[in-house]
Amino acid sequence: MAQLVLNDLKKEYPTRSEPLEILKGIDLELNSGDNLAVIGPSGSGKSTLLNVLGTLDHPTGGTYTLNEVDPFTLAEDKLAAFRNSNIGFIFQEHHLLPQLSVLENILIPTMANGKPTADDVARAATLMERVGLANRAHHRPSELSGGERERVAVARALICTPALILADEPTGNLDRKNAQQIGELLLEIQQAEEMILVVVTHSNELANMLGRKLEINDGCLATPGA
Amino acid sequence: MTDVWRLQVRNGEDSRNMNNKRFVLRSLIHHWRINLTVALGVAAATAVLTGALLIGDSMRGSLKSLTLGRLGLIDEIMVTPHFFREQLVDELEASDAFQADRYQRATAAILFPQGTLEHSSTDDVNTDLNVASNILVLGVNEQFWSFGQTERLQSIQPAEDEIILNQPLAKELQVSVGDTITLRLPEDKQVNADSPLGSQDDRIRSIPRLTVSAIIPAEDLGRFSLASSQQVPLNAYVNLTFLQDELDQEGKANAILVSGGDIDNPPGTDASAILQSSLQPTIDDLGLLLTDVTLDWEAEDQGNSVVLNYHSLSSVKMMLDDTTVSLANTALGDNAQPVLTYLANAMMKVPDDQSPSFEGGIVERKREPDTYGEIVPYSMITATDSKPGLGPLLDANGEPVLINDNEVVINSWLANDLELSLGDFLRIDYFEPETTHGQTVERWIDLKVVEIFDITEPQRPYGRRRKALYDQPPTLLNDPDLTPEVPGVTDQDSINDWDLPFATVNRIRGQDDDYWNNHRTTPKAFVSLNLGKKLWGSRFGNHTTVRIPFSDSELVADKLQEAVSNSNESFGMTFIPIKRDGLRAASGSTPFDGLFLGLSLFVIASALMLIVVLFKLGIQQRASQLGVLLALGLRRKQISRLLIYEATVVSSIGAALGVVVGIGYGKLMLVGLSTWWVDAIVTSFLSFHITFRSLLIGYLLGVLISAGTIVWAIRKTSRLTARRLLSGRTEDQTLPAGSPLKRRRINVAVTLFVMGMTLAVVAAIPDLGTSLGSEGQAGAFVGAGFLVLTALLLRIRSLLRGGWNAHSIQRIHMPLSWLASRNAGRNPGRSTLTIGLMAMASFLIVAMGAFKLTPSESGRGGFTYWGLSSMPIYENLAQHDLHDRVFEKEIVDQLSTETILCLRFKPGDDASCSNVYQAARPRVLGVPQSFVSHFDEAETPFTWGANSADDEKAANPWHLLSSSALTHSGSAKDPVPVVIDKNTAMYSLKLYGGIGQVFDVTYEDGHTVHFKVVGLLANSILQGSLLVSEQDFKQLFPHISGYRFLLATEQQAEGTLRSILENRFRDQGLDMQSTQTLLMELLAVQNTYISAFQSLGALGLLLGTFGLATVQLRSILERRGELALMKATGFSPARLAKMVLCENIVLLSTGLVTGVLSALFAVLPHIIFAAASPPGIELFVMLIVILIVGVGSGLLAVRVTLQAPLIPALRGE
Repeated sequence: MAQLVLNDLKKEYPTRSEPLEILKGIDLELNSGDNLAVIGPSGSGKSTLLNVLGTLDHPTGGTYTLNEVDPFTLAEDKLAAFRNSNIGFIFQEHHLLPQLSVLENILIPTMANGKPTADDVARAATLMERVGLANRAHHRPSELSGGERERVAVARALICTPALILADEPTGNLDRKNAQQIGELLLEIQQAEEMILVVVTHSNELANMLGRKLEINDGCLATPGA
Repeated sequence: MTDVWRLQVRNGEDSRNMNNKRFVLRSLIHHWRINLTVALGVAAATAVLTGALLIGDSMRGSLKSLTLGRLGLIDEIMVTPHFFREQLVDELEASDAFQADRYQRATAAILFPQGTLEHSSTDDVNTDLNVASNILVLGVNEQFWSFGQTERLQSIQPAEDEIILNQPLAKELQVSVGDTITLRLPEDKQVNADSPLGSQDDRIRSIPRLTVSAIIPAEDLGRFSLASSQQVPLNAYVNLTFLQDELDQEGKANAILVSGGDIDNPPGTDASAILQSSLQPTIDDLGLLLTDVTLDWEAEDQGNSVVLNYHSLSSVKMMLDDTTVSLANTALGDNAQPVLTYLANAMMKVPDDQSPSFEGGIVERKREPDTYGEIVPYSMITATDSKPGLGPLLDANGEPVLINDNEVVINSWLANDLELSLGDFLRIDYFEPETTHGQTVERWIDLKVVEIFDITEPQRPYGRRRKALYDQPPTLLNDPDLTPEVPGVTDQDSINDWDLPFATVNRIRGQDDDYWNNHRTTPKAFVSLNLGKKLWGSRFGNHTTVRIPFSDSELVADKLQEAVSNSNESFGMTFIPIKRDGLRAASGSTPFDGLFLGLSLFVIASALMLIVVLFKLGIQQRASQLGVLLALGLRRKQISRLLIYEATVVSSIGAALGVVVGIGYGKLMLVGLSTWWVDAIVTSFLSFHITFRSLLIGYLLGVLISAGTIVWAIRKTSRLTARRLLSGRTEDQTLPAGSPLKRRRINVAVTLFVMGMTLAVVAAIPDLGTSLGSEGQAGAFVGAGFLVLTALLLRIRSLLRGGWNAHSIQRIHMPLSWLASRNAGRNPGRSTLTIGLMAMASFLIVAMGAFKLTPSESGRGGFTYWGLSSMPIYENLAQHDLHDRVFEKEIVDQLSTETILCLRFKPGDDASCSNVYQAARPRVLGVPQSFVSHFDEAETPFTWGANSADDEKAANPWHLLSSSALTHSGSAKDPVPVVIDKNTAMYSLKLYGGIGQVFDVTYEDGHTVHFKVVGLLANSILQGSLLVSEQDFKQLFPHISGYRFLLATEQQAEGTLRSILENRFRDQGLDMQSTQTLLMELLAVQNTYISAFQSLGALGLLLGTFGLATVQLRSILERRGELALMKATGFSPARLAKMVLCENIVLLSTGLVTGVLSALFAVLPHIIFAAASPPGIELFVMLIVILIVGVGSGLLAVRVTLQAPLIPALRGE
């Protein structure tokens, strides 16, 4: 049973005058199977929150536990390993490696600490099936459409069976139809695998598809319109 | 700029026209960083090109300076084997050549290129003896010094009993001014020492107690040398008059030095021809003697009656050469009568119980009177064909009596003494006309007595200065002048006083002394000229005198003089245009600019590849801009033209910078040649020379090849579509497996590989390789390597472009190296170029390393020592039975197990690769049969590169020079077989025809000899010489006697043999040296060039590393998003760093392995067919060092990777 707990999470950046507070005390608790859309205007701190959730950035205050582990207490190597096994990322820029095939791209996270096992390959095959790319395993990214690339990015995020999936504008580059499909796909898999899904998006359509929607405003999370 | 492209640029309110020039300028400025790096690449290529050309300038300039320095104002020189009147110089100065102002001054000198100097210094305990051999001794007058350029030398003329040394000689002798030394010179004897009548002793004239009056630097005339070599000669200068006195050659010289007055511009060939024709030597100057012979008697009632009256032409060297006899025939027609008089050791009647033999045989034991009765010792016997008037054998009617070749005519004294009658057989013992290995061989022949001619006994015998007096009419046979004058023999009062070079074994009886008193050298027997020539003719000549019927003496002399003048023969009095030859030789045996261009080829190629890499990076940076231009409607050609304009500007700036850097690079290489690589040129003599021509060529070549390379890179980019450019993707697209294009590229790679291997085999097979010439062979080798390398790179590129096995991920074992490999395929062109840069360097280092030579036992032919003496050693020490004559008993025993081989030596240019001058007249070694036979069973023979030996001689190809074979005339139709070291043939003499090639050499005396290559030795100590059979040597150089070049093996304690030989032949100036040292010095030249090549390869490597680092950094910048994502997905920084480092190592190691493979493929045929050796462990050490250096550059990329901010990269910012 995975659980993400944030207590009074803060993030500020030093500036020449005074520290700039981006996150002013976020409290949040999510459990396995929960999914959350974070919306907000540009510059509100959505991506900062996502980066802290993804342990890519350290908070400057408050606590953060995922599966009862505070990853920011870990050494850098351990933190990387923690991220590898617990967190999956989906970015607007998919950052697929152009020289690798679809299958190989999906398996990249499995090489962070070793080499892909037969189970990993089998899981990759399953994931490709689920994201509708079964017949594209050996294609290069340059041979895929934008939606297909996004699906590869989804599969890559899921390959290590993470507890938490973080998606940053996953449908930002897609048309409405593709965006709809990706959103449904994400939810379907998240539900099936009982992961926690946090999506940062400008898209109301995508946000509305998720079970819970919070708006970040002035560094605090709140229910939209509250 | 004709095609003006106009684009309206609106920037707020500022609107102005933009043309091509402005666009290019803006681009240059905007992209200054990448343009600067490209310009630096161009500068690197241009610097290397210019530097190589400047090295050529410097080598030629330095050699020219050396030539002009050592010769000063001397333009022409004549050195003769005999002495001539010093007055000839005055006559020459009054001649046409001088009157026409072609020449200004001439001076006489005595030159000995083979002197020996000794200096002994004694302290309380020891006496140290220092000997310097093979020094050039010059007897000079004051005028000699005015031919130099240093005023200080012009007042330095040595007085009598004084000697001046140049510094290297003084250093070798360890003497200072005021010390006394002993000079030893070869004595000019009348009879060649190789003749049994020539003494082998007393051939060294020692001049003791010469005081060193000055020590001059080895520059200007202090470096005077007859040979073109960069090595400093050892020179000694003595007073000419003093030397003339010491040598008993008052008023005579053996050399004339002539100056045209302009130090830099020697007179041309026309002037030389006039100078030569202006030289009008008398027959006396040619070493000939014309004497009047008369014999008359006064009858009581008939008055004075003349019996003999003729002119006799003879030589100071006892024997007349055929040219002189032919000249006399030309001058005097049929009237000239050639005569050959020889010494019969013994004459006796053939006993009745013995059968006479016209073939004869070797005299094996002393003749005993018990067997033969009376034996007439040491008599003259004359071979001539009698002529009317001259006789000497005329019948009663005055008609000549002709003798058959098995007949003899004797005088009445001999007939009476031996009781010979007509029909009896006379046995004649005589020495073979040439010694064998320094030992006389005595033969005999039986001839039938067919006539007995009277000889008249004189009333009063000969006195010391008085002729015999006759009271009865003498006959034509009463002619002692049939025998030429031989000092020590013909001038002695008694036969017992003869100074003979051999022991007199036959008893001299009372009647023999009487005959000597009454008849002196009057011959006792006569044979046909034909038989005489057959028995006693030799390389020294076939005649002793030419008798000419009496006429006006002056008229005869004039006729002879006229014949000399009209003759094409120079009689050894030929002027050599020494400065012109020297300047020609100063062009060098090796074109150093070409050599260094070749050496720098890979550096240039590396620089060009770097330019491509950098320029393409620049294009990639600007890909979207180019796409915009295409999208805006500009034509591809217009865009290409803009890029070319820009590239040309960058190239021009880079090349200009390169020329400046090239001057520094050239200077650095010169420092290298004077220090680290000095073994390549033996001694440091180079000074920096610069010509505008080289700078201009370097600049233009730099611009051309760089701009050409960039245009090639642009051409590829210009094919990309606007869409690809707009997306920023300029790289090649992946080709699916099995595509026709991919198949075609594989085929091209395979074809190039096969071509490369074929070329490598051609270059390696000795005969084929030699036929290509040194440069051709080197080019073929480099070309082969280049083709193989290109083939491998194409294959790598094809692999990178084609992608890897799609299912490979399921089998990977090392995910990081797998990822690194896959990342290399992300940008196949760039990766291939990077690999190529590294491969070039490693190819160079490994391939060249295989050609490094180590001194081998076979290169030394198994010999421990080699030696060269100043003056000849007459005994062939290979004959152990001769050792008794040469060494003390104790030493003879010590030498019983040693092998000492003696070779004849004709001095000449050193044609080994130690001499950077072109060798015009290489030295010659005469190989005796003992040398040939030695290799029948030698444990360590020399290695042959190639030879023409048939099956019979294959085991020992030296039999190609067997002395038992016929001699060769050296004409074009009958060339002299010669063995040469392969390096000498190819690099110095430029003989690319291999076995069977005929080439000619014109020697100092003007005669041209044709040689035919029958064998090529591989990397031997015999480099630099032409090896011919002893028989041919003697035929070609008849006046050179004895042996001067020694090879010896040492079985006993180290140094013993050397000490024995040097002590015994100290007077001859024998200097023995280690063959190991010699071989190392010779091989050092090639090895040093290889080192230089490898060092330049390292420079290429530096460029390669620079390229690698640049490519890596660029690659990381391009992929920072991907790397950030990997970091986000759990790749720890350390693992990412490992991956990036792994990528670096993959490129690096693929480059190294590709280079090594190419090198091995190119070298393999040379290892199989030729002397190349497999690369040694040190090469792999060097490769590991390269790997470390490369990894070092990779760490830079790693650092950048680790420092890259994660989040902006993830967001694509």
